[in-house]
Amino acid sequence: MEVKKILILLLFCISITSVLAQEKTISGTVTDDSGSLPGVSIIIKGTTTGTETDFDGNYSIKVNIGDVLVFSFVGMTTKEKTVGIPNVIDVVLIADNVLDEVVVVGYGTQSKRLLTDNVAKIDASQIGGISTPSLQGALIAKAPGVQITQINGKLEGGVKVIIRGLSSVSASQEPLYVIDGIEMNNRNISSIGANLNPMLSLNPNDIASIDILKDASATAIYGAKGTNGVILITTKRGKQGKSQISIDFSTSYGEPTNKRDWLNASQYEELLRESAFNSGFFADQAESDAWVDGRLPRYQGDDDWRDLDTDWQEEAFQDSYVQDVNVSISGGNEKTTSFISGSYNDSEGIVRGNSLKRYSMRANIDHKVNKRFMLGLNSSYSSTIIDRIAGDNAFVTPLQAIAQIPTSAPYLSNGEPNPGTLYANFLLQDRHSFRKTAIRRILAKVFGDLEILPSLSFRSELGYDYLSQTVDRNTGRLAPFQSTNGQTFASDDGTEIISTNNYFTYNNSFSESSNLNIILGMSYTRLKNRTTSVTGDGFPTDDFRSISSAATISAGTGTFTNWAQVGYFARATYDYKNKYILKASIRSDASSRFGKDFRNGYFPAASVGWILSEEIFLQDADILSNLKLRASWGTNGNTPTDNFGSLGLYGGGGYNGVSGISFTQGENKDLKWEETTQTNVGIDFGFLNNRISGEIDYYIKKTDDLIFRDRVAFEAGIPGTIDHTVLKNIGNLENKGFEFVVNTVNIQTDNLTWKTSFNIATNDNKITNLPNGADLITGRNILREGEPINAFYMVEYAGVNSQTGDAEYFLNTENPDGTLNRGRTNDFSQAQRVILGNPNPDVIGGLSSTLNYKTIDFSFTFQGQWGASLFNNAGTFQETGFGNGLDNQDVYIYNNRWQNPGDITDVPQARLFNNNGHSNSSRYLQEADFIRLRNVTIGYSLPENVLEKMRMSKVRVYVSGLNLLTFTDYRGYDPESSSDDANTNTNVGNTFYSAPPAKVYTLGVNLTF
Amino acid sequence: MKYLRFLMIIVSLCMISCEGELDILPQQSIAEGPATATADNIEAILIGAYDTAGGDANGLLDDGNYDGDLANIAVLFGNTDQVDWNGTFANLRDVYFKQMVNNNTGATTAYGNFYLMFGATNTVIANLDKFTDQTRRDRVEGEAKFLRGLGYFDMVRLFGQQYNAGGGNTQLGVPIVLDLPDATRLIPRNTVEEVYTQVIADLTDAYNKLPDSNGIRADKYVARAVLARVYLQQGNFAAARDAADDVIQNSGHSLMPNFNAVFDSDDNTSETLFSWVITTQEGQNWHVVHFATEALGGRDGDISIADAYLDKFDSDLDERKNYNYFSDTGLRLTSKYTRQFSNTEQIRLAEMHLIRAESNFREGTSVGLDPLVEINTLRARSSAPALGSLTLDLILNERELELGFEGFVLYDYKRTQRNIGGLPYNDNKLVFPIPQSARDRNSLLDQNPGY
Repeated sequence: MEVKKILILLLFCISITSVLAQEKTISGTVTDDSGSLPGVSIIIKGTTTGTETDFDGNYSIKVNIGDVLVFSFVGMTTKEKTVGIPNVIDVVLIADNVLDEVVVVGYGTQSKRLLTDNVAKIDASQIGGISTPSLQGALIAKAPGVQITQINGKLEGGVKVIIRGLSSVSASQEPLYVIDGIEMNNRNISSIGANLNPMLSLNPNDIASIDILKDASATAIYGAKGTNGVILITTKRGKQGKSQISIDFSTSYGEPTNKRDWLNASQYEELLRESAFNSGFFADQAESDAWVDGRLPRYQGDDDWRDLDTDWQEEAFQDSYVQDVNVSISGGNEKTTSFISGSYNDSEGIVRGNSLKRYSMRANIDHKVNKRFMLGLNSSYSSTIIDRIAGDNAFVTPLQAIAQIPTSAPYLSNGEPNPGTLYANFLLQDRHSFRKTAIRRILAKVFGDLEILPSLSFRSELGYDYLSQTVDRNTGRLAPFQSTNGQTFASDDGTEIISTNNYFTYNNSFSESSNLNIILGMSYTRLKNRTTSVTGDGFPTDDFRSISSAATISAGTGTFTNWAQVGYFARATYDYKNKYILKASIRSDASSRFGKDFRNGYFPAASVGWILSEEIFLQDADILSNLKLRASWGTNGNTPTDNFGSLGLYGGGGYNGVSGISFTQGENKDLKWEETTQTNVGIDFGFLNNRISGEIDYYIKKTDDLIFRDRVAFEAGIPGTIDHTVLKNIGNLENKGFEFVVNTVNIQTDNLTWKTSFNIATNDNKITNLPNGADLITGRNILREGEPINAFYMVEYAGVNSQTGDAEYFLNTENPDGTLNRGRTNDFSQAQRVILGNPNPDVIGGLSSTLNYKTIDFSFTFQGQWGASLFNNAGTFQETGFGNGLDNQDVYIYNNRWQNPGDITDVPQARLFNNNGHSNSSRYLQEADFIRLRNVTIGYSLPENVLEKMRMSKVRVYVSGLNLLTFTDYRGYDPESSSDDANTNTNVGNTFYSAPPAKVYTLGVNLTF
Repeated sequence: MKYLRFLMIIVSLCMISCEGELDILPQQSIAEGPATATADNIEAILIGAYDTAGGDANGLLDDGNYDGDLANIAVLFGNTDQVDWNGTFANLRDVYFKQMVNNNTGATTAYGNFYLMFGATNTVIANLDKFTDQTRRDRVEGEAKFLRGLGYFDMVRLFGQQYNAGGGNTQLGVPIVLDLPDATRLIPRNTVEEVYTQVIADLTDAYNKLPDSNGIRADKYVARAVLARVYLQQGNFAAARDAADDVIQNSGHSLMPNFNAVFDSDDNTSETLFSWVITTQEGQNWHVVHFATEALGGRDGDISIADAYLDKFDSDLDERKNYNYFSDTGLRLTSKYTRQFSNTEQIRLAEMHLIRAESNFREGTSVGLDPLVEINTLRARSSAPALGSLTLDLILNERELELGFEGFVLYDYKRTQRNIGGLPYNDNKLVFPIPQSARDRNSLLDQNPGY
């Protein structure tokens, strides 16, 4: 019997062994996080046997049990799987670490590893899911040295982007935006003072990546437009393989990040009585109280003021709701790939009366005609309809309602807004007027790529950007300040940009270790703009609104303007042995905006890199996985913003109905671009197989030939837009700073990854030379040699005299020995102005972190800014103790006012209609340092096995928050929100009833089929 | 290889110089070359010169000089006992109190605007060769020189000390510019003598070239009328008399039948020799702004009539004594400036009569009309009783009665060396400062003493 048992056992073992020793066929699918991966190499470890996945990502291979299969693909982390019992092995590959990334540079791409320029790359995964109407909002805190500020809480509000400090005063301070290689029109096209951000017309979900070029070696290829940095936007393209359909829904709720505390009715009455008594106009308390009792009823509407306690701030703000839907389809075969998307966004802003609807569609198609020739088409159309509200400076802007008296009624008993309020009641404007702005944009590009030789190809691109803005504004007869029976304004502003890029690319490897890449080409851009408007007055009733119904056509305008630019460029990049890199480029630009004598500008640049970690002596160092030293130098230009600034011009006019012409602008044949020379040195480092990686950079940017209006002698007979001047290039400034980025992969296991990225950047900005060395003062900003651009310049507030309750200022007059006299005075005109702060920060930083645990993802971004200050232009109305009118006051005044001798406080005594401290001094200047939790997202994706049953590749639900927390000592609405009306290039850092940004809670779903 | 040929074509197309595309011209303006290329354009620049003078041109909606500003300044600056100032404009307040500082905004704007006007007139004069029609060319040249002469005259009597009738006059006037606008120009001030010489040369040339009448624009007799003023200011009474006589005899203008009719129209009357045109669409009448009530379009009486002015009248029957009204706040305001769209700074025939009468009196002649008859005729149209005999003081007083608030007192008192507001006629503070801003840009300009 034992023999039989042994025999059976042996047989069993043998059969098992045979089974084990048998070849079998394994099959499966390889995917990445967005779909199937064709072309993945699968090799049996230790052999040369292998296969590749087909274009559905499927593979099959004959293996033996126990073999190890190695799955590898460019840019992905290689995975190994041991063959066991199952016959199906599916693998998900994850994108490799940062170093093998591809970075878009002008007219081409480069591998991050071999990059000698300073370029910050942000990809779609970092942008998606952030609920802001405009693209720039999604980039905040993601790139070092790039300061992005949303000007205020209006949906269409302008966004200020400053890369490595301000490099211009009178010319453009905006970076160049390039979308898929074509220059984008980023003019503020607003028909009122308040800015309108043209980037609103771009759907952020269409964007695959954004590369921000910061140093000269990267930006010089853009020549005369590159000084302020270049933002390259690349839209999504189709991928070979199974078609993928993505649907993203989200719905959001928003509210202001901060509301201020204004006096309620009883606090208002108490403070008003106190300030009237202190005013010195009345003999005693009985008289001052009688004055108050006689005055307040004026604004009460149909109620008794004693029964009213209106929270006007609540009237101005509203709950904001946003719906956003985005659908995209991407797919293709070996010949043709396409990416098609459509989106709809419906946003209500946090300020009453402000809303936006955007529709957009896009189709990006690539087609391989044959082995050598490829054609492509990018086309997109968007229509954005915005209900705008007045600019911050207008009396009827909603936020100015905070000035209204709490004992006045917002509505009369008949439901109509109360016209008898202290200031114009914005509710009347809200009800009886509208301003509809429609922005329609077509962005299209056709391109062809021809391979002439294996190493030489030629690419030609033709781009078209048409931006049309129509404004229809109607003010009904009951709206404030309306004296005719209604007024309608209609305007049409159309801008068309046609551009073409044509260039050769030469790519060759000599021997195994050296590669040369050369590009040579030209670029031409032309802009044409046509703007018309009509104003009509007098309508039969408020139901008639269009111009044709008006009784009188009271005004009309019509203008045309154009410019054109031609550039030639060449660039060569050479790398040797994967460790020595050299790059040089040159661009020449000619622009119609330059004076005749300076038609052509030349902008060279060069950079070098040394990948130390590839050197033999460092190659075995386990800890150090990457060390690259790089340095770059180059020049850029900043084209003048005036299309015809260099010409001597005569403009039309008339005298007694007869037309005449008069001299309007003096000629300057020498007018040219502002030129910036930038030097950048940097180190890229990586430790522990790039678990810790980062960059350190130091840059110096010197800008020469700043454009200023140079004063000309009156006897010259030259007019000028301001005061007998001619535009000239005479001024210098300088920016210096450090940038530091650290990326860490804290944990990386099969189930859990945790990555963090920290960036911090400093900027030291200084004007080094002004025309005649003279200070240029605009309002409370100064341009002075040796100081930052637009430093704050004003009288310095010293506080309150504790015995008298008078507001006091520091004299700051100069003593004979050169020091400043720090004595105090209560007479504002005795005090001298001094430089007291900077509207731009010295240090900006961001901290992002991403955690992935199985199917849960969690990420957040913090943003911080230090060193900037903000001046509250409305302080002189809001924080005065009724010294400058009956405007409602900040509770801070009520809580801290001086009342009795011996009180120590910084709020002076409240004195009705007396100037006790409400002159524009540093009392209203505050530091605006802050740290903000910019966004936080938690998502849950359904696991793979469930997805398979549903036949979907991704189902993710997420919750996210924008601007949830702000840590700051700033007492105003928000340390970033500033006036959209009053700020110009030289009058900056002012806030004036400016709405704070929105705090947004979003619930969303991502589906991918 | 067929691709290569295809490629060559593309490449050459692309590499074709696009430089020509860069010569883009503005649409709402024209460049200097085309602006001065044709006769029509030059005449348009001449119209632009009137426009600049009236303050509506050069891309600026600036204050001009001849929209009432110059006359208003003379009223305030030359005031002793004629008006009271009730307004808030700080620069005008300083003028009234004769306490100007060197950055007075009114002085700065006025100075700059004169040179913009000269820029236009000089451009016209430099391009006369574009005209083929001699008559048109003469007229245009005459108009340009008229504007230039008038402008320099008004400048020199504000920014320089009074012309000394004896001659010499080495005191500093203003820089004379006779050439095209030039951003590099830096020149010193010319003397008062030099400026007067230039003024007389320009106005005389204008007189010779202008037609007898020219619509609302300058004609021969307007130029002669201003010459009469210039000679009077210089104390050259014989020349003043002859010029005034020429205008009165030959210009075809005549006095209005009563005083009110002189001012009661938006357009020029038969008494108007010349004025600067204001319409509902263009221009702003600054006389009305400072002299009239809010209901009439003013600032509610910045400049009101002083009681002492009324004491200058010898008869209550004189229409001119009663030619005023009261505002709600009790200010007595002149009725001369109550029409918001009436024309400004008019040169009228009454002034010519006064010049002829005074010059005849001083010279002991009766050219054209006996001075006493002339004065009485003028008085008669305002229902004022005739004077029995004339003295110089009576004639000078008659000027104040007839031409009150029209900007003459300052210059009359200076040329007769009378005290103005308690200051001697040649006080440092009775001339405008050379604007600090002008001196910052041109260091060759010497400042007037006292500033």
